[in-house]
Amino acid sequence: MNPNSASAAPRDSPTTIPLRKFGRHDVQISALGLGGHHLGDATDQTEAERIVHTAIDAGVTFFDNCWEYHRGKSEAWMGAALKGYRDKVFVMTKVCTHGREGALATQMLEQSLRRLQTDHLDLWQAHGICFENDPELFMRTGGAAEAMLKAKQQGKVRFLGFTGHKAPEIHLKMLATGFPFDAVQMPLNAFDAHFHSFEQLVLPELQKRGIAPLGMKPINGHGDPVIKGVLTAEELLRYAMSLPVATTITGMEKMEVLQQNLKIAQGFQPFSAEEMSAIRERSKQTAGDGRFELYKVSLKFDNPEARLAHEFPLDRKSVEVEEMVKSPMNNGHPYLSKSELAL
Amino acid sequence: MPDKNSISRRDFVRTTAGTVGAASAHALANATSRPRQATGLGNSQQQTVSSEPVPKRDLGKTGEKVSAIGVGGFHLGSTKDQNEANELVSRALDAGITFFDNCWDYHDGQSEVILGNALKGKRDKAFVMTKVCTHGRGKDVAMEQLEESLRRLQTDHLDLWQIHEVIHYNDPDLIFATGGAAEALLTAKQQGKVRFIGFTGHKDPAIHLKMLSHDFPFDTVQMPLNCLDATFRSFETRVLPEAARRGIGVLGMKSLGGSGELVRHGVATAEEGLRYAMSLPVATTISGMDSLAVLEQNLKVARGFTPMTAAEMANLRERSRELAADGRFELFKTTKKYDGKVGREQHGYPTAEELPA
Repeated sequence: MNPNSASAAPRDSPTTIPLRKFGRHDVQISALGLGGHHLGDATDQTEAERIVHTAIDAGVTFFDNCWEYHRGKSEAWMGAALKGYRDKVFVMTKVCTHGREGALATQMLEQSLRRLQTDHLDLWQAHGICFENDPELFMRTGGAAEAMLKAKQQGKVRFLGFTGHKAPEIHLKMLATGFPFDAVQMPLNAFDAHFHSFEQLVLPELQKRGIAPLGMKPINGHGDPVIKGVLTAEELLRYAMSLPVATTITGMEKMEVLQQNLKIAQGFQPFSAEEMSAIRERSKQTAGDGRFELYKVSLKFDNPEARLAHEFPLDRKSVEVEEMVKSPMNNGHPYLSKSELAL
Repeated sequence: MPDKNSISRRDFVRTTAGTVGAASAHALANATSRPRQATGLGNSQQQTVSSEPVPKRDLGKTGEKVSAIGVGGFHLGSTKDQNEANELVSRALDAGITFFDNCWDYHDGQSEVILGNALKGKRDKAFVMTKVCTHGRGKDVAMEQLEESLRRLQTDHLDLWQIHEVIHYNDPDLIFATGGAAEALLTAKQQGKVRFIGFTGHKDPAIHLKMLSHDFPFDTVQMPLNCLDATFRSFETRVLPEAARRGIGVLGMKSLGGSGELVRHGVATAEEGLRYAMSLPVATTISGMDSLAVLEQNLKVARGFTPMTAAEMANLRERSRELAADGRFELFKTTKKYDGKVGREQHGYPTAEELPA
């Protein structure tokens, strides 16, 4: 067994979700985290609240979100659901400056706090670091890095981090800036193990630096490998959770998905090193061309907010672009005139 | 220009002029200057047609010299007819171009046939390279393809034989497996059927580095090298120094982005793009020339070639940086669209058309 793997955590009773150490800090978070984007895909707010409450009762403490998910709906629903539960959970959200100035980051933080109905975040992360020049834009004078440090000093956020789904090299560039990150989020799954691999390139570096690794896309975003019969959802989630990560964030837009995940997470027993390598053997062939990890290669998975900020052309056919254009109220930037809104 | 389904930031900004929100959206654009149009910097001294020959450069540590620009085999197969190809090859040779690229599967073999015909009686003046398309298959397939290539090229030996399209993460494992394509390279070299051996790929520097890490006696390695590559999944920064350290001859390709993307999107002029690629420490830059006009345009740059200064190169890299950052002009590195059909079939992968993006 890998001494660094999650198995180092104490054996848990079959009904609780194990808690794990949040990087170098004396803080514990649940090994399974609830993804904010999918929460906004729940049938309605009542259902979303029911999912959040059931998750909390089952021992989920880590809640993911982002300023721009569903143009603010994800944060608003989570905020409503956490009323009376705030102290029991670790709330993360992300800021979508994408190279734009720090003042915009601060504006976004205030909006996020309001929507989440709280006076502080446990973790605030720079969202979607995925272009080659993102690290330098993040660190530039008057950039988001400065705003993040200020927010921490003011006690509005406890910890800082960044996220991205694109390239391990860009993550390493962010780490090389020397910014005091507490957490880093990235795709970690059985296919990533072979292809533009965050597991191989970034994870060891985070362990060395005492930065909490937050895994995402454990079943490759939308479960394509499950649909194609390469690995089961359970195998995929167990693989991701068995890596030396602080938590694995996964989307649960329906009660049945939550229940399925809870079955694995409660009393979680990590795969042995042999089991891990057997899973990797099975994913190796199809991992080779990256077809299950299009977020690492295709422009289609770039976040429109990020492309916009970079002046990159947008794909009008994308659902997210349509949402962004039609719901300008949530971001403080009314992009289009009324006549243009009728696309 | 972006296609009609895309909205640029510029459009957004224009439609929001006067709104409060636009002020902060503007800030970045105003804070950094981003020239969008090629300025034609450094062009002037190249305008007069030189009669000097195309310079020769060392091919790694092989002791062989090749011309600083090479004729791409795929585009040679796209010329109007055999006569035009003959004329193109003959003019290229007269100007001092010796390097001729090809591949077993270009135009289903027609590119090799056309080059073979065009080189009749001139074989000794040319450095002929072609590539083998095993894509994970073994030595026997490779040796059969070699015989076919030699027959089509009407020659008894190749100057350089390379493994084509090493672009999937498991390719190095398959190539170096027992009975794999690497063994074919060595056998062909021992038999005197090929003088030098190498590999090519357009996808990912990490895969090239994995190939090199096998310490196999490659004489050459081919890769995309252009001013956009310099800051996006960069072969220039990651593979070029490693090849140099090992004394392996580097063959650059896609100097204008593969299909002139650099020029079409106003990153640089064709001349600037080609000059940048040729100014890197490479043995040759393979360029597609499907007409005499393109050959002549390239010769304007390549005859008596003057490399860009370090400052000129840095300037072009800076101008390209923002446009390069999302990789949309180097889709061969990211999407499956540019991956060969045979390779995908051999790997048991769905065709590019079956995959989104």
